[in-house]
Amino acid sequence: MADKIPVREGTFIESPEGPILVANKCNSCGQIFFPKVSRCLTCTSDEMEELKLSRRGKLYAHTIGHMPSMHFKPPYAIGYVDMPEGVRIFAPLKLTDYTQVRIGMDMEVVIEKLWQEDDKEVIGYKFMPV
Amino acid sequence: MREVAVIGVGQSTFGKFPDKTVVDLGREAVTAALRDAEMSPKNIQVAYTSRLYDVMVTGQSIFKEVGITSIEMVNVENACSGGATAFRGVLKEIADDRYDIGIAVGVESMTTSPIAGKLIPPSKDDLEGQLGLTMPGLFAILANRQMAQHGTTPEDFAMISVKNHHHGCLNPFAQYRKEITVEEVLASRMICDPITLLQCCPNTDGAAAAILCSMDVARQYTTKPVKVIGSALLSGDYKYLQEDMTLSRMGVKTAEAAYEMAGVGPEDIDVVELHDAFANEEILRYEELGLCKPGEGTRLVREKATWVGGKIPVSPSGGLLALGHPLSASGVRNIAEIVLHLRGQAGERQTPDAKVGLAHMLGGAVAGLEAGACAIHILAR
Repeated sequence: MADKIPVREGTFIESPEGPILVANKCNSCGQIFFPKVSRCLTCTSDEMEELKLSRRGKLYAHTIGHMPSMHFKPPYAIGYVDMPEGVRIFAPLKLTDYTQVRIGMDMEVVIEKLWQEDDKEVIGYKFMPV
Repeated sequence: MREVAVIGVGQSTFGKFPDKTVVDLGREAVTAALRDAEMSPKNIQVAYTSRLYDVMVTGQSIFKEVGITSIEMVNVENACSGGATAFRGVLKEIADDRYDIGIAVGVESMTTSPIAGKLIPPSKDDLEGQLGLTMPGLFAILANRQMAQHGTTPEDFAMISVKNHHHGCLNPFAQYRKEITVEEVLASRMICDPITLLQCCPNTDGAAAAILCSMDVARQYTTKPVKVIGSALLSGDYKYLQEDMTLSRMGVKTAEAAYEMAGVGPEDIDVVELHDAFANEEILRYEELGLCKPGEGTRLVREKATWVGGKIPVSPSGGLLALGHPLSASGVRNIAEIVLHLRGQAGERQTPDAKVGLAHMLGGAVAGLEAGACAIHILAR
């Protein structure tokens, strides 16, 4: 089996209910960050607390790309998803039908292979319609 | 702080010139600015140069070609705001009384750069870029949000491209001097839905230069100096990404700072040049600059208020969409355009009786932040 490496360490974990994205929250001003930051970018406090996010959010906005990005061949979908905890996340979208994506849709996080890097599979998060 | 004036501007022709070097392009712009100011190169005391894709100390190589050596020279990079950052660097040197006369040049040869014909590649630690966020991708996401939130249509976006290409026809320096229609814009190749090819700025080679000096010195050269009355440069924050992404927090904040310094408001602005890298972006900028209320930018498009001859002409040069976008050059170039309007020298695209003008630039993607740098300059005659 090929080696698997996460696209970014510490961004997601597996749970019995399925994959979960891991953010952190500033204990001083309450701002939530994904991916995690070591110091709050809003109030500069370094009292950050890890926060496991819900598995579902709502699509804030999206696009379908028709020219290649660094790792994805067209067509591919990308977008921002609003999580109920109050953080917006950029992610690739996993769609079976590119005409069915709508702002406000319920989306769920999935973990899968994003691309191949030499002999390693790069694993990361995507959102797909519920 | 001393009053500072612009007394010379110049640019190279914008287009695709794979046989010209960065030094060739820079020399064209610097020579044109010196000629415009009727100034000898020996009078230049400080020089700032901006470029993204070139060797080290580009400025020294350019200025050597026109005989400028052995003075303070600084090379800066601030993505697409680099040119405006170089301009501001010279502005501060003179306002702070370190020097009386300086020059800012922005230059880029996109066709000979490592990214010729490609998208700007994300850095390794740019997680969002690695996950597929590109510049057209980001602006396409914002376009979809503008449509859902403000009722803007693909035809509205296309109309901005039609306008700026029309303006390009009025500018002898423009890369594209051809009228296009809404139908042609919408039928061009899809890049990131709903942004089509003709709604994206092209790859461009070019340079622009501006000569600044203290007001006392300016009067020795001209009876019509153009004053720099406002200047602001800010980086983006994280909060923007968590709030209404159709309203640029860094844009609003930078505009507020520039207006406050200038002692004018958006209602006083007669002509605007801005960062229209993608057609839909222009509407976002109308709103953060206060040309209309947030969410109402589409109305300005439908009223044709921002055409040459309209209430508040925007990007009369043709903008990045038609004049072209040599990244680091654009920030100096769009200030130069404002100077021409304030002098009454903008030819067919002249804004009648322009008294105050504004030049806006935006640059750089940083994962987790709105953007790298927003620069706004306000000039007056």
